[in-house]
Amino acid sequence: MHTDPAAPLSDAASRVGQIALRGVDFAYAGNSTTVIQDVSFEVAPGEFLVLLGPSGCGKSTVLNLIAGFERPSRGEVLASGRAVQSAGRDRVVIFQDSDSLYGWLTVLDNVGFPLRVAGVAARERRERATAVLKVVGLAGHEHKYPRQLSGGMKQRVQLARALVLDSPILLMDEPFAALDAQTRSILQDELMQLSVKMRRTILFITHDIGESILLGDRIGIMRAGPASSIKEFLPVTLPRPRRRSSVEFGELYERIRASISEEVRRALRSEDPPL
Amino acid sequence: MAASRAGAGQQAKAGATSRRDRSAWLVTTASVAVGVLLWAMASARLDSLLFPSPLQALAAFWQMLGNGELLADVAISVQRIAIGFALGCLVGIPLGLAMGLFRIVRAVCDPVVQFLRFVPPIAWLIPAIMWFGIGEASKVLIIFYMTVFLVLLNTMAGVAAIPKNQIRAAGNFSVSRLQLFTLVVFPSTLSYSIAGARIALGNSFAAVVGAELIAADAGLGYRIVESGKWMAMNEMFAAIVVLGMFGLLADRGVRLATRRFLARYVPDGDHAH
Repeated sequence: MHTDPAAPLSDAASRVGQIALRGVDFAYAGNSTTVIQDVSFEVAPGEFLVLLGPSGCGKSTVLNLIAGFERPSRGEVLASGRAVQSAGRDRVVIFQDSDSLYGWLTVLDNVGFPLRVAGVAARERRERATAVLKVVGLAGHEHKYPRQLSGGMKQRVQLARALVLDSPILLMDEPFAALDAQTRSILQDELMQLSVKMRRTILFITHDIGESILLGDRIGIMRAGPASSIKEFLPVTLPRPRRRSSVEFGELYERIRASISEEVRRALRSEDPPL
Repeated sequence: MAASRAGAGQQAKAGATSRRDRSAWLVTTASVAVGVLLWAMASARLDSLLFPSPLQALAAFWQMLGNGELLADVAISVQRIAIGFALGCLVGIPLGLAMGLFRIVRAVCDPVVQFLRFVPPIAWLIPAIMWFGIGEASKVLIIFYMTVFLVLLNTMAGVAAIPKNQIRAAGNFSVSRLQLFTLVVFPSTLSYSIAGARIALGNSFAAVVGAELIAADAGLGYRIVESGKWMAMNEMFAAIVVLGMFGLLADRGVRLATRRFLARYVPDGDHAH
């Protein structure tokens, strides 16, 4: 863990990169089903928090609320101490689908896009984008178009585009879920190393238990939906680099698996019995 | 060594492609030759006065080319298409974008568009002639009318097809509304607008001839009517062949220009067929 989440955060500077949800409910407009209910938690600046849960449990909803793509029905969402009003460059999302890349721009121009929007001159844009592409292992692919890249490479471009801005918060919405197992495993290892170096607050959504242990400082396990909330938080104290083959890894994996299957069984019991 | 082997592999691949290109050309040429042959055989069987042979049509073509008649007809038809098509794109693309982006514009325009697009352009020719006379305006209007709906509807579909994540990602980078339009919406829909424009251009040739057949004093359609009056079937055939050739040329021209200048916006090179 980079910082102690329990430490008091008094002045504004120490809140940069902090995420806080307070009593948040969310339901889609015109729909009575509550997706998440009374969700409260904080992510400390520089912390890597993984939200883990079965599909349909509302974990992407939590991310969309922090990103500013959706507004809470009740409660408040804060980023760096300020109420989230809309999407903004202090919180960059890495989407599961690489269709967020701009197909008519080269890799270099896609990564330079946020800088272009911010009014950075073309030359500096090129230099910074080239540097970030090197960090994510895409040197030599600057002039290709997204359609010429594999799924894993496209996700690297998304990561580079998110990193180029120096945003304090990265929101990753199952970024590796659509990749093949080998590529996924490689990208997980690289993100593990990168996340330690770059010291940004990361909220990472996944349904992959192994991925959550490999990457997270802390794991939030979500209840099954509807009206979902966070069941429990587990700190991950394993030293980095983490190995899937270690005994501690296996123990934590079992602990989480049991917690989730208990949750899924509880959800099944609470449903109406079939005719 | 590995590099040289890769180079050789690429050359082999290029060689295979050009061989495939060559054989495709061969088939195309053969297909055209067979078409002309069938035409010649048909005209030999039938009355050559009513169904002239390719050679008779070619002779008529040379003669019409020589006395400048053909070029004048082509020029006037192409000019009508060019003006109507350009105006149609100039109005259709912005209006399609506006309808795609703004609910209020869509609410206002959609009933009109949905009604008018089922009224074929040629139905407006007689009223257009009554309003604007038999000259250029009525023909240009028909081409404009046909182009504008195709381009508009396609552009609107393009706006609806923008991936939600492209918009959301742009929001992440704090784009202004103007930047969202110029950097994301417009480039993202361009391939749809181009596809609509290509279909419109193809139909323009049919529409202009239709208009010229009914009422005109020049143009390829007018030439077909005139040669019919004098039973000059060879001239009529020449005009029809020229018409087809120009349609083909225009389509190839647009496709080539798209590939040359707009390739990055048109992912698969071809949306329209």
